[in-house]
Amino acid sequence: MNLSSGKNEEYQSSEFQENLEILRQIYLFSSLPLESLKVFAYLCTRETFKQGEHLFRQGDDDGQAFYIISGKARLVHTNGDAEQIIRDYETGEFLGGMVLLGNMHRLFSLKALTDVTCLILTREKFSTTVQPFPDLMPRIMKSVAERISAWEGGFLVSLGEGCEVCGQKVGVSLV
Amino acid sequence: MEKVKTPVVKRSIFSWILPGNIKLQVLLLFIITIAVFTRVFPLEMQKRIVNEAINLRKVDLLFLYCNLYLAAVLLASGLKYFINVLETLISQRALANMRKDVYHHILTLPLSFFRRTQPGMVVTSLVNELATAGDFVGSAIAVPITSVLTLLAFAGYLFWLNPLLAALSLSIYPMVLLVVPALQRRANSANKKRVDSSRDMSSKIAESITGIHEIHGNGAYRIENKKFDALVDKQLKIRIVWNLYRFGIKVTNNLFNNLSPFLIFIVGGYLTIKGQLELGALVAFLSAQGRLYDPWRELIEFYQLYQDASVGYRKTMDYFDVVPEHALVPEGRKPYELEGSLEVSDLSFVTEEGIQLIDGMSFSLRPGEHLALVGFSGSGKSTLAQCIGQLYSYTGGHVLIGQKEVSDLTKSDVVHNIGYVAQAPFIFDGTIEENLLYSCSSLIEGNGNGKGDTMPSLDNIIEVLQQTGVFADVLRFGLNAILVPDQHKDLVSRIIRVREKFQRDFGHQLADYVEFFEEDSYLYHSPVSENLTFGTSNRESFANRDLCRNDYFLKFLREAELTRPLLSLGAELSKQTVNIVGNLPPDKAFFEQSPISPDELDEYKPLVERLKEKKLHQLSSQDRETLLELALRFTPGRHKMIGLPDMLEKLILEARALFKERVSADDPGAISFFQMSDYIRSQTILNNILFGKTKTEKPEAQEKINQSIIQLLIEEDLLETIVEIGMQFQVGTKGDRLSGGQRQKLAIARAFLKTPRILIMDEATSGLDNNSQARIQNQLDTRWKKSTVISVAHRLDITKTYDKIAVLKAGKIVEMGTYDKLIASKGVLHELVLGKK
Repeated sequence: MNLSSGKNEEYQSSEFQENLEILRQIYLFSSLPLESLKVFAYLCTRETFKQGEHLFRQGDDDGQAFYIISGKARLVHTNGDAEQIIRDYETGEFLGGMVLLGNMHRLFSLKALTDVTCLILTREKFSTTVQPFPDLMPRIMKSVAERISAWEGGFLVSLGEGCEVCGQKVGVSLV
Repeated sequence: MEKVKTPVVKRSIFSWILPGNIKLQVLLLFIITIAVFTRVFPLEMQKRIVNEAINLRKVDLLFLYCNLYLAAVLLASGLKYFINVLETLISQRALANMRKDVYHHILTLPLSFFRRTQPGMVVTSLVNELATAGDFVGSAIAVPITSVLTLLAFAGYLFWLNPLLAALSLSIYPMVLLVVPALQRRANSANKKRVDSSRDMSSKIAESITGIHEIHGNGAYRIENKKFDALVDKQLKIRIVWNLYRFGIKVTNNLFNNLSPFLIFIVGGYLTIKGQLELGALVAFLSAQGRLYDPWRELIEFYQLYQDASVGYRKTMDYFDVVPEHALVPEGRKPYELEGSLEVSDLSFVTEEGIQLIDGMSFSLRPGEHLALVGFSGSGKSTLAQCIGQLYSYTGGHVLIGQKEVSDLTKSDVVHNIGYVAQAPFIFDGTIEENLLYSCSSLIEGNGNGKGDTMPSLDNIIEVLQQTGVFADVLRFGLNAILVPDQHKDLVSRIIRVREKFQRDFGHQLADYVEFFEEDSYLYHSPVSENLTFGTSNRESFANRDLCRNDYFLKFLREAELTRPLLSLGAELSKQTVNIVGNLPPDKAFFEQSPISPDELDEYKPLVERLKEKKLHQLSSQDRETLLELALRFTPGRHKMIGLPDMLEKLILEARALFKERVSADDPGAISFFQMSDYIRSQTILNNILFGKTKTEKPEAQEKINQSIIQLLIEEDLLETIVEIGMQFQVGTKGDRLSGGQRQKLAIARAFLKTPRILIMDEATSGLDNNSQARIQNQLDTRWKKSTVISVAHRLDITKTYDKIAVLKAGKIVEMGTYDKLIASKGVLHELVLGKK
């Protein structure tokens, strides 16, 4: 039989295999055929951010999607001198369905609260990969659309009658 | 020479035949005349050999005529070759000129032309379609004249020999003329059907393959087979008919050609027996008749070529028959030096499709004023900038720069006074330096005499690199260059000094980001080969790519018990890599992290197939070598498709020590081992300074390393040297070795270097990070006060410092003023900045 079975099993515990497992759990990729998923898993890189370092900064167009493999990061919005904490991201969370699709400047900053290890996929790699697989984009679009809709649905529920100004800003999923 | 030059697209295909080629064509004509004579001459010799030499049994005459015959044949062949040479010369020169002229013409066409033209179309036109036209031009004189003259000469000779017989044998050709084209037409129509039916068949195959899961799922083999079989049967019939016609043509041609001798034999034979025709004449007749066919066929083929060439040529020329909107250079004057005032009045721009992008805009700027254009997408910001920059021709109203109407300016006037940075700037293949100087060089070249214009100095360039923030990038390219130490002896020793300082001042601090060349640690960011040798080879045979063929090294691997583990590593690596990238296009992005390059895939794919059936020891020695080579390239920090087993890592580390021991004893000097005191020839300048490799691509880490290195380089006065090296970096086709931000910064830098009176920036900083944007905006605010700046702003916060802001909506200016004034008036800008209330 071939070499990958039996004794050489340790080759299999590669970053690539782990990445593949991770991507299969992320909504953006879970519906994609394995052939293309492999390419994404292969093109992903890992980075560790020390406590206090920024994963991205407000205003930059870094074009990277992040999956947090370990650690905790804080999303912050700065307005003039005022800094508002939005929420924290933890192990297993993914940010970047939109950033991969088109150029955009960050509206928030993400800062490592502890040492954070991430899986990163850049927009450039993403768009090179979707080219040879013409049936990817429709599926990805669909996932993103569903995600946005579900997000805003959740937002409406938790908004209740809380914030009047927020109420007038509802409707992102209508863009 | 010519008074008014006809644009290339208006020239007829015949116009390429004579101009510029007259001497060649006259020479050709002269040679053809001789050549035709040498073709007929042997016939006469044939006749005389039979009639005079053989009949009269005169050996001396036989020798004489045979020698003359031989000479004529040799001369004919020589001349034929010479004619071909001339033809080739003429046709290739015509083709080259056509390509140049058409290309030169295409580049001047208005941008609107390119919006509806695929680049592929231009490529095929220039590369393929014109080639036939070139062939035609080459043979336009030679072939018809040769053929007609030969035909006439043969026919004349035949009539001279015997008019009756000549008329008889020539009578066949009109019949051929009737029958063959009729058959050809039918063959052509059958061929068209064949192409159509092949297309049907291909799409059917493609459909079944794409839907194969459905076929399997439904067990629908029979249904699909039936559909496919019907198509094949249909094509079978078409192909048979097509082939029958094709052979019909061949057979008819042959038949007529063979009928001719029959007529000659029966009539000529009769005449000879009756003593009315000499035997020699009959022989000459027969061979002349046989040779009539060649010039005849050449004529027909020439006609075909003429048809193809003129259709292709006309199609190409008509396609590009668009008039450039502006003259390139002014006539009878130097380009204007305009002052930087801008006057836009009642400007409108309507596209060819009738969409109004700009609708009656009016405003004016004094020299040195800065204007920001903001607005929703589709509001006409970019279009306005492009109209001012003469990239689009406005359809109504006026744009005056320094009181001159922009649409009346020549291109040369425009580039002399306006610097334009496009939204998606284009970077051409070449070095950074060439791209930086792109605007300046074309300006100087356009001037011809270069009055007072000189290329920017190095100081000048470095200043602009810093202003635009591309300095750090260029420095990085310089640091990533590999030096040839023999050519930079002084530099090398200074780099070693920088290395020592780096280790002392930053070594500890940056240890997280750098993998130092430590003798006792595995180097995850270096290939297995370097992990084994831990040095740079001084011998050809120890060079990394030849290591797997070096007997000494192979023996060492066996003794270190590494051969088998490495082969197994190679096997696993090739399987995984082929599995992932095997079917991907040869894009840099896909193969950066792959140990197998796109060109090598064809070698590895079948090898991976063989690996499925054979065990390692059953492989051919060639395959084992390939696997070993791959294993030696494996760099775990980069090639993530497999992991490096712990056992193997330990084995390799042990082998490293053994290798050093062995080589030092057996062949000292073969390898320069990594040492703090030595420059490493095979590594980049950066790796030499670090004495290691960076582990991460994270910008913050890169920034920290950069900062420390810049500080040390300044201390050693090396910064400019490294930047100069960096400017020689090859950016790749379309600048694809640069990031989007680097391309934008480079484009801004090249506009800055030109120091134009009017600078137009069309979302020029959209791909840059905050700091870079702020830096460039700051430069504009301080150093560019003398120039007029028009900036299409993609972000509103950078517009605060502009003298004027024009807010655009649906092709109109809805408000204009300073930032503070517009915000205070709570109009559209206020809405854009703070969102809808």
